[in-house]
Amino acid sequence: MAAPVPIGLKAALLDAVRTKSGMVGTGMLGFLILLAILVPVFAPYDVIKAWGGTDAWQDNPKLAAPEWSEVFSGGKHLPRTIFLTPAGTPGGFLKFRTTENVSDGKGNWNNFTFLGLKKTFGFQADDFPSEMTVYLNTMFTQAGNLSKPPAISVIFQRPDNKNLTLLDDTPRLSTTDINRFPNTKSNAYAVSQPIKDTPSYKILDNLREWLIANNVTTRAEAYDPQFYVQPEVLLFAQLDRSMLSKSTAHVLKGDYSLRIELVGFENTDDANARGIVFGTVFGLAGTDDARHDLLVGLLWGAPVALAFGTAGALVVVLIQMILGAISGWYGGAVDELVQRAADFYLIIPTLPILILISLLYRPSIVAILFILVAFGIVGSTTKVVRSIVLQVKEEQFIEAARSYGAKKTRILFRYILPRVMPYTFALIALTVPAFIFLEASLSFLGLGDPVLPTWGHTLGLAYNNGALFYGFWWWIVFPVVGIIFATIAFALLGYAFDKVLNPRLREQ
Amino acid sequence: MAVLDIRNLIYWYRTRRGAVHAVDNISFKLEQGETIAVVGESGCGKTSTANAILRLLPKNVERYEGEIWFDGQDIMALGNEDFRKQVRWKGISMVLQGALNALNPTVRAGAQVAEPLIVHYDVDRDEAMEQAIAAMKRVGLPQDIARRYPHELSGGMKQRVVIAMALILKPKVVILDEPTSALDVMTQTNIINLLKEMKAAEGLSYIFITHDLGLASDLADHVAIMYAGEIDEIGPADHVFVHPKHPYTGRLLASVPRLRSEDAPEFIPGAPPDLTRPPPGCRFHLRCPVAFEKCGWVAEEFVDRLRLLQATTQGKEGFPRFSEVEARGTQMVVLRADSDSPETLAASFSEFVKSGRETNPFLKSVRSVDAKTKAVAVTLHEGAPPPLIGEEWRAACWLVQEATAHDTIPA
Ligand SMILES: Nc1ncnc2c1ncn2[C@@H]1O[C@H](COP(=O)(O)OP(=O)(O)O)[C@@H](O)[C@H]1O
Ligand code: SF4
Ligand SMILES: [Mg+2]
Repeated sequence: MAAPVPIGLKAALLDAVRTKSGMVGTGMLGFLILLAILVPVFAPYDVIKAWGGTDAWQDNPKLAAPEWSEVFSGGKHLPRTIFLTPAGTPGGFLKFRTTENVSDGKGNWNNFTFLGLKKTFGFQADDFPSEMTVYLNTMFTQAGNLSKPPAISVIFQRPDNKNLTLLDDTPRLSTTDINRFPNTKSNAYAVSQPIKDTPSYKILDNLREWLIANNVTTRAEAYDPQFYVQPEVLLFAQLDRSMLSKSTAHVLKGDYSLRIELVGFENTDDANARGIVFGTVFGLAGTDDARHDLLVGLLWGAPVALAFGTAGALVVVLIQMILGAISGWYGGAVDELVQRAADFYLIIPTLPILILISLLYRPSIVAILFILVAFGIVGSTTKVVRSIVLQVKEEQFIEAARSYGAKKTRILFRYILPRVMPYTFALIALTVPAFIFLEASLSFLGLGDPVLPTWGHTLGLAYNNGALFYGFWWWIVFPVVGIIFATIAFALLGYAFDKVLNPRLREQ
Repeated sequence: MAVLDIRNLIYWYRTRRGAVHAVDNISFKLEQGETIAVVGESGCGKTSTANAILRLLPKNVERYEGEIWFDGQDIMALGNEDFRKQVRWKGISMVLQGALNALNPTVRAGAQVAEPLIVHYDVDRDEAMEQAIAAMKRVGLPQDIARRYPHELSGGMKQRVVIAMALILKPKVVILDEPTSALDVMTQTNIINLLKEMKAAEGLSYIFITHDLGLASDLADHVAIMYAGEIDEIGPADHVFVHPKHPYTGRLLASVPRLRSEDAPEFIPGAPPDLTRPPPGCRFHLRCPVAFEKCGWVAEEFVDRLRLLQATTQGKEGFPRFSEVEARGTQMVVLRADSDSPETLAASFSEFVKSGRETNPFLKSVRSVDAKTKAVAVTLHEGAPPPLIGEEWRAACWLVQEATAHDTIPA
C-alpha cells in the first residue's frame, strides 16, 4: 500500500532522501559539494586564473598519463619527472667556482672565473623521458670591448661513461643591455626538440658526431635528411644501433650527470642552472598538451558545473513555476498569454541561438547563464505547474480561503505555491543535468567561457587535439566521468522526488 | 429586528444541460441569537443557499438575484471588495461543508485559525497566533494543537479548528453547512453541544444546514424545509416537527428511524427531481402521496406514469387496453387502441381513472376523457405552484391553503 503523499516541502524532502535512489543521489551530490568546498583550498582561484597562461604549468610534462596508469603497463616502471634543482637548494646542483688573476707581464691583468655546476641523478625507469630542458642563468659583465661574455659548455655524463657535450654557448646581450652592470641572461636550452637558430639546436649536430664517434652510425647516414635525432631517447639509451629508433631502444639505467662549465673573463661572473627531465606520467589525472595538471581543471569543473547547473535550474524553474502558477490560478487572458508564450519558447531552438550569440560575443559563464534564463522564463515547467495548479485550485481549502475573504494573490502565495513547491524541487533536480549538459556542449564547441576550465571545455580541447585518435584517454575520460557523475546525482535525486510525490510510481 | 433577512433569493447555475435552479426564490429571516435549521435531501440546494448568502460564486452563475438584508443593509447591493471587507467572516462566517477535510494540509492548525485575522486586520503573526490560540481554547482545543498539522488531528479536533476559524472574527451570523456529517455519533454530540455553548456565550445566530432532522430539532429555533430549490415549509421548530403542514415534511419525519418505536421508517418513493428542469406546479407532486388536481401534472409526466403502470400491471383485469399513448401539448394525452373502438377505450379508461385515483394520485389530474374518431383524448387539469401560505408558520401546498381555510392540520 502506498503511503500518503507527504505534507509540505520539508516532509517531501526527507521522504525523498530516504528512498534508495535518494540516498545514492544525496551521497553523490554530497561528494560533489564537498569537492566544491575543498577545491578552492587545494587549488586556489589564482591557479585557475593562470589556466590560460603557460608559465604556471611549464614544469609539467606534456600529455602525460596519470601516474597510476602504470598499473596497466605490464609491470613497467614509467619515468616520473626529475627536477634538477639549482645550486643552493637542498639536493640541487653542486657548484665549484674559482677566480684567477693572471698578469700578462705588461701590467695588464686578465681576470678569470672558472665555474662548474654538476648534478647527478639516477634514472631507473623502463621508458624514456618525454623531454629534457636545461635552464641557465648567467651573470657577467660585458661593457663595450673591455670584457667578453663567458663561454659555456653543457656536458651530459652517462652511466656507461660515453659522455658528450650537448652544446657550447656564449650568452650574448642585445646592445641595449650592454651597459648595465652586472648583466644577467637566462637561457633555456630545450634539449629535446630544440628549435632551429637557437643555441640548443647544436645539440642535434653534437649528437650526430657523438653517434659517429661511437660507431653507431656512419657520417653519411647521420647527416642524411631522413635521419631522425631524438635526443631524449639517444641520451638515455644503451649505446648500440637499436638506439636509433625509440621502439627498439633500450633504456640505460643508472646515474646520469648534467655538468655545466663556464669560463668567464671577469671575477664577478657567475651562473646557476636548473634542469627538468620530463616524465611520461603525471599526477592523478595526467596533463594535456599545454601541460595543465588536468586534476586541477577537473576538480574546478565540479563547483563550476554545480554552480552553473543549480543556479540555472533554480532560477529558470522558479520563474517558470511562478508564471505557470499565475497562469493556472488567474486564468483568462493571462493564462492565454503565458501559455502561448510557453508554446513559442518551447519551439525556439535555444542551442543554435546560444551558439550564434557565443560566436558573436564570447560571453562569460555568467552571461551564458543570463541568456539561458532569458530563454527559459516560460517553458515546460510553466505547463506542468499550470496543470498542477488547475488541480490544486479545485481543492476545498482554496474554496475555504476564498470564503473567509483571502485575496487571490494571498491564496496564490500562501496556499497554492507551497503545494506546488515539492513538485518544483523534483523539476529543479531534473533540470540541473540539462544545464550542465548545455554548458558542456557550448564549451565543447569552444563557445563557452573562455577562461574557466569546465568539463566541457576540457573535452572540447581534447577533441580538437585528437585525444581520441592519439590515445590520450585520460584527457577525455575524466571530464566525461565528471559530467556523468553530476548528471546521475541529480537525476537520482529527481527520481527520488518523483517517486515520493507521484503516487503511481510509489507502489512497491 | 432580524439580523438576517433574505428576500426572494434566486441563484441558478449555468450548465451544458441548462440552468440548474438550485435556489429558486427563497425568503427567510434569522433573528438575533436564534438558530434556523435548513433541512432537505442532498442536492436540494442547501449549500447553494449558503454560498449565495456569502457570495461564494463559481464561474458558471446563470442568475443571482434578490435581497439579503444584514444588519439593516442590503448586502446584495455591495461591491465585491466591500462585500469581502465588510461581510465575509466579519459579519457572516461559515463552516463549509466538509471543511474539516478541507484544511490546508501544509499549514499548522494555529496558523489556519489565524488566517482570517491576518487577511482582514493585517495583524502581525505573533498577535494573530495569540488570538488564534485563544480562539482554539474557546472551542476546547488545548494549546499544543496549534502546532499540529491537520493530518495529525482527529475529525472532531479538525471540526473544532474549523469552528474556531469561523468564530475568530466574532461574526454575528455563522452558517454551519452540515458541520457534523462526517463525524461519528459521539463526536457529533460533542460538536452540537459546543455549538450550543458558543451560541449562548457569544449571542451568535446560526444558519444550521443539515439533512439530519434529529440534529435540527435539537439545535434549531426555526426550521426551513427545502425541496428542489424551494422552501416547502418554514416555521418554529416545535410546530414544524410536531405537526408538519407540508406532505414532504411529513414524509421526511416519517423516514427518520426511531430508536424506541415499532414503526419501520418509511422511505419517500422516487428520486429528487432534476433541477435543470424542475417539475411544473408543486415540485413535490411527482412523489407526493396526496397530490391532486391542482398540483401541476403535465401530459409528459402523465404518459410516463401511465406507461410505467402499464408495464407493471400488464394484462390485469380492468386495465384499459390501449396500444399507444402520446402527449399532445402540456395538458392533453392521446390514447389509441388496436382492437377496441375509441368509445370502448374511453369508457374503460374513465372507469380505470375512477377506481385507481386513490392508489395512483396522478390519475386525479384527469379532467375529461373524450372519444374522438380514431383515438381517445384525455384532458388534464391545469396546475400551478402553490404559494407559501401563513404568517409565522408557512407552507407551500395546495392542501394547506384549504386546510388553513378549514382550520385543520393534514395528517
Ligand atoms: N457549481 C455548480 N455548477 C452546477 N451545478 C451545481 C454547482 N454546485 C451545485 N450544483 C447543483 O445544484 C444543486 C444543489 O446543490 P447543493 O446546493 O450542493 O445541494 P445540497 O447542499 O442541498 O446537497 C445540485 O443539483 C447540484 O448538482
Ligand atoms: S401541493 Fe401539496 S398536495 Fe400537491 S403535490 Fe404539492 S405537496 Fe402534494
Ligand atoms: Mg450541501
